[in-house]
Amino acid sequence: MGSFISIPILALAAALQASVVPQFSILGGRPDLIFMLTIAWALNSSLEEGVVWAFAGGILKDLLSATPTGTSVVGLLILVFGVHFVRQQIYRVSFISLVWITLLGSFFQQITILVIMFLTGFQPAYLSTQGIEPLATDLTYVIFPTMVYNLALMFPLYWFVRRIQKRVQREKPFFS
Amino acid sequence: MRRWRSNRRIFLAVCLVIAIGLIVSSRIGLLSPAEGLASAPLNFISGIFNRISLAVSGSVGDLADIETLKARNADLEEALVKFQAELVDLREIASDYQRLADLLDYTSTAKNQEYVTANVIANADPNSLLRTIVIDRGARDGITVGMPVVTKQGMVGRILNVTANAARVLLITDPTSAISGRLQTTRAEGSVVGQLSGDLNMMFIPLDATVQQGDLVITSGLGGNLPPDIVIGQVTSKRQFEFELYQEAVVRSLNNFDTLEIVLVITNFQPVDLSVFDNNSANGGQ
Repeated sequence: MGSFISIPILALAAALQASVVPQFSILGGRPDLIFMLTIAWALNSSLEEGVVWAFAGGILKDLLSATPTGTSVVGLLILVFGVHFVRQQIYRVSFISLVWITLLGSFFQQITILVIMFLTGFQPAYLSTQGIEPLATDLTYVIFPTMVYNLALMFPLYWFVRRIQKRVQREKPFFS
Repeated sequence: MRRWRSNRRIFLAVCLVIAIGLIVSSRIGLLSPAEGLASAPLNFISGIFNRISLAVSGSVGDLADIETLKARNADLEEALVKFQAELVDLREIASDYQRLADLLDYTSTAKNQEYVTANVIANADPNSLLRTIVIDRGARDGITVGMPVVTKQGMVGRILNVTANAARVLLITDPTSAISGRLQTTRAEGSVVGQLSGDLNMMFIPLDATVQQGDLVITSGLGGNLPPDIVIGQVTSKRQFEFELYQEAVVRSLNNFDTLEIVLVITNFQPVDLSVFDNNSANGGQ
C-alpha cells in the first residue's frame, strides 16, 4: 500500500516543485520536496518501500527537469539504504537524528546530482575558463540555502508523512 | 529472490545499475517517447499550479508595491516630459535612417523573423542547479531544438528538447549556456555565460574596449547559433583583473525569468552547423 500511494503524492510534489516552490527561492536554493518526502517515508518503512519511493520520486522529478531520467534516483537510492542502516542502529527517530539526516542527505543529494550532470555533459561553460572558484560560489549559492530550507520544512513534512503511514498501516490488507 | 534481497549490498548494486541504465538510456534518447508521454500529465498539473502561484504572488507583490509605485510614477512622469523632446529628435533620425536603408536595399533581419507565441507552463527546473522553463508549444507547432526564444525585453534562451506539445527552454542564465554577445555602443565582442545567481557574465572582452555601466549587450550572431541584434541585457558593472588578457562585465537581463508568462519562439531561424569545418580541419583540410 505504501508503495502504491507514493505515485500520487510524489507526482503532486514534483508538479509543485516545478511551479510553486521556485516562487519561494532564497538566493538559488529551494526546498527539495521529493527528497524530503522520500527520506521521511524511508525513516519508518521497509527498505523495499523506501526503494520504490526513491525510484518513483527521482523519475517523476527528472521528467520535469532537463536532466536525464534517473539523475535524481541515484542519490535518493543511496540515501534510502543509508537511512535504513541508520534506522537499525537507533531506537527511534529523534530530533537530532532528523536534523543530521536532513543536512547530510541534502548535501549528498545535491552533490550527486552535480556529479551526474558533469558526467552526462551538463558542464557549466565557465568551468573551462575560470577554474573552480565560480563553481564554489555557485554551490554555496544553491546548496547551502537548499540545506537550510530542507531542514526547516523536514519537520512538518515528516509529521505529515507519519500520519499517512499510520493511516496506511491501520488499513486492513485486501487479501488476508 | 529473497536471498538477494536479504543481501543489501547486492540489492543496492542492482538498484544502482537500473538507475544508471535509466540515465544512459535517457541521455541517448531511447526513453524519449516514454518521457514525452509520462511528462504530459505532469506538465499539465504543473501548468495549473504555475498559473495559480503567479496570480497569487502577483497580487501580493502589487499590494506591497503601491507606495513604491506612487513615488516611481512621479519620477517617471518627470522623465517622460524630458524624453518627449528627445523622442521627436530620434524620430527624425529614424526616418532619415529608414530612407538611407531603403536606398541601400537593406532589410533588417528582425523584420523577416517569424514567431510562435507560447505560454510558460513551468517557470523553473525542479533541479535547482539548472535554469530551464517549459513552454506549451512543441514539435506539432514546428518547434525544433536550437530555436531562439525571446520576449519584448530580449533574449530568453534556446530550445533544449521538444516533445509533441511542449518544449524545454535552456535559459541564458543557466551555467551551461554561453552565447556570443556584442556591446552595442563600442561593438566589442565577448562570450555571455549564465550564472546561477541569475546574472550573466560577459567574458573575453578586449582590454582596449570601453565598457560602461548601462551599455546594452546584444547577440553578435557569431557562431551561427543565434540571429544577431537581439538584446541580451544591460551591463551593471565591469571587472578587470591584473595580468589578464581580457576584461569581464556583469550583465543583467531585462527579463524577469521568475515571472515569465508568454514568450516568442523564432521559428524561421536555422542554426548553422559549423562542426563540418572542424571535421575538415581535423582531416587536414581535405
